[in-house]
Amino acid sequence: MAATSYRPLGIHSGEPTFGRKYVWQWPVRLAHWINAASVLTLFLSGLYISNPVLAPNGEPFNHFVMGRIREIHFVAGYALLFGFLIRVYWFYAGNNYSRSGFPFVWKAAWWNDLRAQAWQYLKLERGHVHLGHNALAGLAYTVFVVGLGWIQIFTGLALYSESNPGGFWDTAVGWIIPLLGGSWRVHMWHHTCAWGFVVFAILHLYIVMFDSHQFKNGLIGSIISGYKFYEEGDLDHDRWLS
Amino acid sequence: MSKRIVVDPITRIEGHLRVEAMLDDNNRIQDAMSSGTMWRGLEVILQGRDPRDAWAFCERICGVCTTVHALASVRSVENSLGIQVPRNADIIRNIMFLTQMVQDHVVHFYHLHALDWVDVVSALKADPAKTAALAQSVSPSWPTSTPGYFSDVAATLKKFVESGQLGIFQNAYWGHPAYKLPPEANLMAVAHYLEALKWQKELVKIHTVFGGKNPHPNYLVGGMACAFNLQGDNAINMERLNLVRDKIVEAIDVVEHLYIPDLLAVASFYPEWTKIGGGLGNYMVYGDLPQNGIADVSKFRFPRGVILNKNLAEVLPLDPADPGQIQESIAHSWYQYPNNQTALHPWDGVTEPHYTGPKPPYKQLDEKGAYSWLKSPRWKGHAVEVGPLSRMLVGFASGRADFKEVVTEALGKLKVGPEALFSTLGRTAARGLETRLCVHWLLEEYEHLVANLKNGDSSVADTRHWEPSTWPVESKGYGFTEAPRGALGHWVHIKDAKIANYQIVVPSTWNASPRDAQGQHGAYESALIGTPMADAKRPIELLRTIHSFDPCLACASH
Amino acid sequence: MTSQRPQTTYDLLRKHGVDRRSFLKYCTGLAAAMGLDAALVPQVVRAMETKPRIPVIWLHGLECTCCSESFIRSSHPLAQDVILNMISLDYDDTLQAAAGDQAEEVRRRIMKDYKGGYLLAVEGNAPTKDGGVYCTIGGEAFVDILKETAADAKAVVAWGSCASHGCVQNAHPNPTGAKPVKEILTGKPIINVPGCPPIAEVMTGVLTYILTFGQLPDLDRQGRPKMFYGQRIHDKCYRRSYFDAGQFVESWDDDGARKGWCLYKMGCRGPSTYNSCSTIKWNNGVSYPIGSGHGCIGCSEAGFWDNGPFYERLSSVPVPGIQSTPDTVGKTLTVLTGVGVGAHLVSHLVQRAGVPLTGTRTPEAPAPEASEKKD
Ligand code: HEM
Ligand code: HEM
Ligand code: NFV
Ligand code: SF4
Ligand code: SF4
Ligand code: F3S
Ligand SMILES: [Mg+2]
Repeated sequence: MAATSYRPLGIHSGEPTFGRKYVWQWPVRLAHWINAASVLTLFLSGLYISNPVLAPNGEPFNHFVMGRIREIHFVAGYALLFGFLIRVYWFYAGNNYSRSGFPFVWKAAWWNDLRAQAWQYLKLERGHVHLGHNALAGLAYTVFVVGLGWIQIFTGLALYSESNPGGFWDTAVGWIIPLLGGSWRVHMWHHTCAWGFVVFAILHLYIVMFDSHQFKNGLIGSIISGYKFYEEGDLDHDRWLS
Repeated sequence: MSKRIVVDPITRIEGHLRVEAMLDDNNRIQDAMSSGTMWRGLEVILQGRDPRDAWAFCERICGVCTTVHALASVRSVENSLGIQVPRNADIIRNIMFLTQMVQDHVVHFYHLHALDWVDVVSALKADPAKTAALAQSVSPSWPTSTPGYFSDVAATLKKFVESGQLGIFQNAYWGHPAYKLPPEANLMAVAHYLEALKWQKELVKIHTVFGGKNPHPNYLVGGMACAFNLQGDNAINMERLNLVRDKIVEAIDVVEHLYIPDLLAVASFYPEWTKIGGGLGNYMVYGDLPQNGIADVSKFRFPRGVILNKNLAEVLPLDPADPGQIQESIAHSWYQYPNNQTALHPWDGVTEPHYTGPKPPYKQLDEKGAYSWLKSPRWKGHAVEVGPLSRMLVGFASGRADFKEVVTEALGKLKVGPEALFSTLGRTAARGLETRLCVHWLLEEYEHLVANLKNGDSSVADTRHWEPSTWPVESKGYGFTEAPRGALGHWVHIKDAKIANYQIVVPSTWNASPRDAQGQHGAYESALIGTPMADAKRPIELLRTIHSFDPCLACASH
Repeated sequence: MTSQRPQTTYDLLRKHGVDRRSFLKYCTGLAAAMGLDAALVPQVVRAMETKPRIPVIWLHGLECTCCSESFIRSSHPLAQDVILNMISLDYDDTLQAAAGDQAEEVRRRIMKDYKGGYLLAVEGNAPTKDGGVYCTIGGEAFVDILKETAADAKAVVAWGSCASHGCVQNAHPNPTGAKPVKEILTGKPIINVPGCPPIAEVMTGVLTYILTFGQLPDLDRQGRPKMFYGQRIHDKCYRRSYFDAGQFVESWDDDGARKGWCLYKMGCRGPSTYNSCSTIKWNNGVSYPIGSGHGCIGCSEAGFWDNGPFYERLSSVPVPGIQSTPDTVGKTLTVLTGVGVGAHLVSHLVQRAGVPLTGTRTPEAPAPEASEKKD
């Protein structure tokens, strides 16, 4: 789309005009929902693995409860990896918005936005709506999703690799195990970090709903449709990207 | 004029022991120092940990007496939390205890102590036929006492020596005038050295059945982890029990027909050693092998008590929980206590290293200062000896018939009176005699186990107090056992489900301890005094007395 | 290299009256014990025929001597066969006949006579704090003896978890500064044979492999022979079917325990422990910890002492001041987040009730169309 199409809403002159823009391209949305679904599955199956509460009776031959949940976890693990790879590719291939979550720590504008956004959330001020990610949101995604996500993927794959010593994953990521002080420690960190997603999910859902409600910017829908609404004067594909 | 000799390392023991001895002009030991030269800090490491894990840490104090620290540890935690283990657990623990005792004593006799009395090189001169005759006269029912067998062993030995690579036997004291055995007895002992080495690994399979492995089998606070299921093949069942029984029967055979005959045969050549190495003359035993729960001391197979000044007419009572009875002094140890205290009961014990010795490499330690990583435990201020001799004496003096029987029989065979027991050889003999008691008790305990199972009791663990939420906020306890080397005690203080303090007082700590604040020697030092040495450079006599205690220094310092 | 001509294992066995047939049988058994293909038996035979007995110096540092105790429990080969026929165990303070100066003299002589040709076996490890005063032998700090003896060794075998990883004395707070062999020696091939203690046949298997094939075994990332530490206990555990099924012991001596169900929920470290316990087993195949109803405590893993509590499924989070389970940490953070979010929501609602939200946007914001790369 060349120019942004404005939808004039103002009846009286001087009233704000709203725009609608295609922000989240389909690979971003696809990756988002793959990630969301796999993280949910991973967290629940992971907790089950840690504390398997179902106790089937009779011959072990007839049951595969723990085995099945572990399989689900591993499939979801692969899905998460897949989602991440799509998103990484699209970080480079996509539009500017797809890069807007990056923490541009070397740019003053990013820091200013971070401060402003945090301040506005705290003081319950409206501030600007961003078409891409605001610096705070971007930072949260980077730390909680990208950072923790890779930690989970790497530690998870390292644990996964243990069942086939010398195999592909062992060669690729097996070194993580001694690095973190052995397999038992890797379990502990993998499990501890899993909770990071719960913390993220609470914050994320709350902020998404809060923001959406506050600004009527169609935020929630945007991760499905790709379109976001904004008013004149809101920040387009944010300043640190220019 | 006195000259000082240093023997460091003392070999054929567990751990790092250094002995310095002052000799008079006739090469007789006038004074001695026993120094433990290693410390790991288990008491420090245990602080803040889950008390249910403590047994595993403690067990690693020593792999030679593996099991005993784990046993004392679980008992201390159970005592602290008021847990009573099921009868089966007590029996299994008794079986494991006895297995350990027998294996450790046999290995000590053949592989650690024998070379003090047996000249391996002299065995080369032995006539295999005569050796077989000797072996048959010593132990008529031992199956391998044939000329062919001994000539094979002699050939092995010859080739080994001729290979020029003498391995563990090189540079030792062969040909020393203190060796008194004829070549045939030496050859017999060498053969049995190998035989015992091959057998000991069989006996410990009992630990493997109940504890999963040996060394360092598994224990559990509240009982044992090895469940019974006589109708299943995934827990202890008839096959497992048969394995245990088989090993017990084998052990009786080895002890009755190999160890004891060899012990008495060797001892008969060294009568002078019934007059050397007596030492303190004070003997202490905590007792063990409960028949009616650990709280009922009167039903222990090893009775509790103290004998002072070799007075077998009186066995004094003893209480490990009484703060006035057992105390550890650090006057000559590399530790410090707060507020310049000199001696503490283990519940109040403190382990804070404070090295004041010379900077390594050093030539000599100073008996006037601190010179050991061992503390000096004392009972009501007395230095006491612990171990097999103490147990045999307390059992004997308590009038226990089984003790009396084995002791009088052995004394009769050696044609010596009870006073011969207060010596280096007495210590070595007592170890063998208690092994004899132990193998028979093993079979009895096994039978108790079967009887209990027959009565329908197959429980092995009481888990009512497994969860820390069921524990008091703060509690104290002690656990004890009679380890192969003597009375072992662990004292624990639990607070907020964590170990607040843990103190370990080990048999070898009692025996190898340095002087206390009053200047009293520990058992090793005291026993060495008066020992004659033929050659100050080749300290075989010193080794004999030290080895008669079966030192374990990793235990002692922990 | 040496004044005496060392003899081959076969020479010695022959002289000990072992005939050719039993010798070959012996070699076959040895090969099987090491998990070798039958095609390799002739190589074992040749090695036994041509290799002299290699001198071994076996040092003891901070330790419990349990590795030696395990070693003498070996069934195939028997410990005495190793000591008398395969190696020349020249120095080992636990077993050797000579003491004091005579013992130390042997060590020095072997170092000189067999320069570059002897194996150094280390049981236990070295305290490094305060100049090494926490372990001395003959008045010398063990840490110095270790370095000195390693200097001219052909290779170093680190017995047990002490020598390989540090073991119990190296557990927090490591009061003596105990360090495993690999952190003290550099520039030497080191074979770590962890376990507390290692399985007897693993110990003799490692030695005989070196003697038989004249080469060090393949090692993994942590310097452990792949042949014995290649897989986890869990992957070979006979209770694995119960794990996969979801059938677990829930408390000691319960019904599951009697049926031999999986010990995962009792804290079993089998899923994280590399060792041969579930295949070779202990004491000539009698059992192994799990086989006797207790979970694996991970005794061959680095730092396993600080991975407690042993009966919990996970170790505590080792952050100073926290030290609680991952789930406690996670749940606490979750609650805190929830409280924070709730507080925000409430203050928002309160504010909305009083003050209506009005536009406070900054006027100098750029226009939406600015610099767009692509859509
Ligand atoms: C645990 C599950 C979830 C994770 C890990 C997650 C992660 C993310 C990430 C990483 C982004 C940034 C998108 C990008 O730049 O690639 C994002 C954006 C977004 N997500 Fe989620 N998400 C989750 C669940 C949800 C759910 C359930 C919703 C719907 C209610 C949602 C709504 C949104 C919206 C509206 C955005 C755009 C926000 C913005 O522009 O700042 N998310 N999410
Ligand atoms: C958001 C991402 C993830 C979360 C929240 C998560 C969560 C968990 C949790 C809670 C556990 C139990 C840990 C324990 O108590 O021992 C676990 C185990 C495991 N996870 Fe993940 N995980 C994630 C990603 C992955 C990925 C990407 C993989 C890669 C395949 C993976 C592989 C594993 C494996 C192999 C285990 C151990 C299973 C076992 O030992 O039986 N995880 N995970
Ligand atoms: N002293 C000692 Fe031990 C024994 N017996 C322990 O308590 O040897 Ni290692
Ligand atoms: S590794 Fe374990 S068994 Fe071996 S010496 Fe160390 S503590 Fe003992
Ligand atoms: S008992 Fe332990 S090693 Fe065996 S299957 Fe269960 S968790 Fe794995
Ligand atoms: S505790 Fe050790 S003995 Fe084996 S089963 Fe576990 S590695
Ligand atoms: Mg102590």
